[in-house]
Amino acid sequence: MVSLLLQGLALGVLTGGLYALLASGLSLYFGVMRVVMVAHPAFLFLAAYLTYTVHTTLGVDPFLALPVTVPLFFALGVAVQRLLIARLAPDNLAMMSVLLTFGIALTIEGLLGTIYTGSYKSVSMGYATKSLTIGGVHLPYDKIIAFLVAALTLAVLFAVLVKSRFGQALRATIQHREAARLVGIRTERVAGYGFGVGLATAAVGGTVLALITPFFPASHWVWIGKLMAIIVVGGLGSVTGAALAAVLLGVVEGLVLVTVDATWATTMFYVFLFLTLLARPQGFFGGRLAHRF
Amino acid sequence: MRIASRGIPLLVACLALAYPWLVPNYYLVYAGALTVMYAAMSTSWNLLGGFTGYVSLGHSAFFGLGAYGTGLLIVRLGVPWVAALLVSAVAVTVFAVFVGVAAVRVRGASFVIVSIALVSMMNLVVQGWRSLTGGSTGLQVPSPFPDLHRGQTHIVFFYLFLALLGLALLSWWYVSRSRFGAGLRAIREDEDKAESLGVPTGAYKVTAFALSALFVSLAGGLYAVWFGSLDPIFVFSILIGSYMVLMSLLGGVRHLFGPLLGALIVAPAGEYFLIALGETQIHLTATGLLLVLVVLFMPDGILARFTRRRAGPSIPDETAEQRLQEVTR
Repeated sequence: MVSLLLQGLALGVLTGGLYALLASGLSLYFGVMRVVMVAHPAFLFLAAYLTYTVHTTLGVDPFLALPVTVPLFFALGVAVQRLLIARLAPDNLAMMSVLLTFGIALTIEGLLGTIYTGSYKSVSMGYATKSLTIGGVHLPYDKIIAFLVAALTLAVLFAVLVKSRFGQALRATIQHREAARLVGIRTERVAGYGFGVGLATAAVGGTVLALITPFFPASHWVWIGKLMAIIVVGGLGSVTGAALAAVLLGVVEGLVLVTVDATWATTMFYVFLFLTLLARPQGFFGGRLAHRF
Repeated sequence: MRIASRGIPLLVACLALAYPWLVPNYYLVYAGALTVMYAAMSTSWNLLGGFTGYVSLGHSAFFGLGAYGTGLLIVRLGVPWVAALLVSAVAVTVFAVFVGVAAVRVRGASFVIVSIALVSMMNLVVQGWRSLTGGSTGLQVPSPFPDLHRGQTHIVFFYLFLALLGLALLSWWYVSRSRFGAGLRAIREDEDKAESLGVPTGAYKVTAFALSALFVSLAGGLYAVWFGSLDPIFVFSILIGSYMVLMSLLGGVRHLFGPLLGALIVAPAGEYFLIALGETQIHLTATGLLLVLVVLFMPDGILARFTRRRAGPSIPDETAEQRLQEVTR
């Protein structure tokens, strides 16, 4: 029993790290534009399918697709913000942006289904089947790699946000858009780049997902629920809150997964979502909005 | 103008009643029944969305619960289908009150998240509870009219859905003229101000939520006995929920006949895409693109183009005051 719980805990921490990466993009969008981007998971699977194509046609390691997908997704993010989100009227932005990104998600799902059919696809590497055993706890190598990639990407993201001039401008835009504009920050441009960075994290996340789990075009719906639960529990717009909530929910999911079953493990996300809204609608970590990273 | 506004609905109603006898084949009767079903659901959706501005993408949760409730009562307990339909609709409405209490605590984007979560959760529960619901293989519901052939059944259900649509339209019309409706509109315009003026916002929102869930679950129950087989992935799909939103927005959420008009465009278009493009999933892309275009270029709907009265955006969710509070907090 103890080793079972340890197993669940370890798996939970590993997947929680990945969740943190995936949810960080959502926090960025919400921060820079007050937009809940429902299409984020759809872009994740777009990246997963691109990885799949690169892997099956060229036969290279999935991670070698990253130099292509990351800049591509950055550009896509900037385009989505400039061409679509920025056009919405500010007085009903939150609701309309959900519907708009929902439409984008459906569009992507339909295209993926048409090109790749609705059946499961997966990218399996030699190292994915092996696992590391420490004290009776099995840690699959693919999950470890996923965790490391997620941790590395998050570290880079934090460094960019805290150290670089762009990061400072982005954080200023998130904190107070009007004030940021007054001190000479081009908030529109910064918001566009913020979206780009968000989608770039989806490119990394999608590649990792392709490696650790089979996927089909409609799989993004499950992820919408999971990621939304994470950012609500963490507090909308807070990257730190999202990261903490991601690990927490990952661990809860892992523990329920090994002790009960997969359905209940996924249901936990919604249970936490509803409990959070009943007890603390602004989220448990990070407060109302991200004031710092 | 007055004659036109009275005459056109009357003419349309007559045409609708005669529709099954005007079309050349049963397939078109089937497509007609499906369209009327969507029209009834989007009109019901608009009881919440149109008045209060709360956008629920998860109303298919109530559709699926109505369908499964009716189906399970018939299959597992042998309840007559009409009783099963009504009992499950009441049960779903009670459930919607409980969900509503939690859901309407949050505004704007968070409410949409909750609504998406609701339908995902229901889908998981129904698929996971294999012993009761049959899991992902679905549930088979016997036909209530074993003597009729498939085509005749389509005609019967065409009229049943038409009756439901009439009921939903009547409710919307009645609410729009009532004090309750005025309160809901006040919530849409400025919830905090409405609250301070003495509108019981919480109770009003929950009532609107439950009322719209009631009609949607009735549509789900009718769908269950009409189709005879329930697939959890379809009845609890976010796609059905998004159809309700798309139809209402396209037609115009501020108008009685807006969602109906939207349904008359979107539902046949969806069926057409399904037939013309076959098994591919490109119809999802078509729906998605349509939604993007409507949100970007016609958020007030088609009917708003024809009426001169225009007062602000259709769904405001953040007032200047709220923003000020946010900044100064």
